[in-house]
Amino acid sequence: MTGATADARSGRALAGTPARQPAWLRWGSLVVCVLGLAASAYLTFEHYSSSTSLACPDTGAINCLKVTTSSYSELLGLPVALLGLLFYVGMTALCSPPAWSASNPWVGRVRLLGAVSGVVLVVYLVWAELFRIDAICLWCTAVHVLTVVLFGLLVVGAALQEA
Amino acid sequence: MSSRAATKAQAREKVAAMRAEQARKDRRRRVFLAGGAVVVVIAVVVALVVAKAAGVGSGSGSHVTAKGHENETTASAAVFKDVTTVPASVFDTIGPGSAAATPRKITAPALTFAGKPQVLYIGAEYCPYCAAQRWALAVALSRFGTFDKLGATHSSTTDVYPDTQTLSFHDSSFTSQYLSFTGVETTDPDQKPLDSPSSADQKTYSTYNTEKYVGSPGIPFLDIGGHYVSAGTFVDPKLLAGKSREQIAAALSKPGSPIAKSVDGSANVITAAICDVTKGAPVKVCTGRGVGASFAAFGKSTQ
Repeated sequence: MTGATADARSGRALAGTPARQPAWLRWGSLVVCVLGLAASAYLTFEHYSSSTSLACPDTGAINCLKVTTSSYSELLGLPVALLGLLFYVGMTALCSPPAWSASNPWVGRVRLLGAVSGVVLVVYLVWAELFRIDAICLWCTAVHVLTVVLFGLLVVGAALQEA
Repeated sequence: MSSRAATKAQAREKVAAMRAEQARKDRRRRVFLAGGAVVVVIAVVVALVVAKAAGVGSGSGSHVTAKGHENETTASAAVFKDVTTVPASVFDTIGPGSAAATPRKITAPALTFAGKPQVLYIGAEYCPYCAAQRWALAVALSRFGTFDKLGATHSSTTDVYPDTQTLSFHDSSFTSQYLSFTGVETTDPDQKPLDSPSSADQKTYSTYNTEKYVGSPGIPFLDIGGHYVSAGTFVDPKLLAGKSREQIAAALSKPGSPIAKSVDGSANVITAAICDVTKGAPVKVCTGRGVGASFAAFGKSTQ
């Protein structure tokens, strides 16, 4: 058995070529990103148009409008919905087939860093919804769940990748 | 010779097996750490939900409020000055701006009080749309007369556009040689009763705050001299989200600010309607370029 064959079987990247990631990781992350992109695009559209048309029930604890119009709907002067959209635009690019095939190791590092920063923001926003705004936004929750799933996929995927 | 080669091959295989075993262990450790990271994130979110369900942090500090405004009842001197002294050049530059609606012209008996055209506002402090509209109304009225003071309040913390910082007409009085103003705030931010309209004002409200006259009845209700009515806000409350009263008031003199375009633009629209009932008085205000442009804007929506 040659060294190169052993490397190939263990999934290690040959010199100058990227490691082949499992299909569930490549396609799973892309699907999650596209869903996140759609949800965050809708929230951004609603932010810049009439938020009163948000398709979301108003049952007290669930109140999208209350969340999306609160003072927590902006971060550093930027609408959180827009930040979410920018996040998913970036992550969709980083989880696209060309990005998964890229040989530059920084692509994977930035992808992982993006997922970590996304999940940190999710924890902050969940805290704000529960303890400051006193309402839950279903669309925002969908984006939060997708971000945690993306984080899980990418972290486990990175762990499975040979050093 | 062949025996040495066999020994070397065995040693190589042993080393390879050890390396493979080490690689498997490393991989298991990394997967364990990755799984742990995911579990930690999920555990933090679940802990937040459980803490909320258990009532942690549900005290008085759990509402979205702007710091330093909770106990104020009167607008600060800086806010009062900014609201009541918007430069004419700003009004002229903005015109109708981004006013989201305009009053409807109606055919009805003139509404007067103390021998002057009356502007009647009926709203409530909890109402976020009233919170937005009050800024424009206070700016517009300040062009015709003088407030002795303006209240300081915020909209409900449990409604849409929560805790919108605003002014209040409760306990304020307005003097003008051109018109009379009646501002009624029926409740405070917690919907506890505040002002009661007079029977005449209540009759005006009941008669004209109907689908026939305003389209969608509700508060804030505005009747300008019996000739113009509206229900709802001309100012987009979204623009005020998260802003303090000081920030909102300071923005009113900056023509490029979205807040100024909405609030001052709406004030111009209200001013134009008032000028119609005061028959163009005062001339300096009613002949302003911004007011003229606003006449043209709301003329399209009159019935």
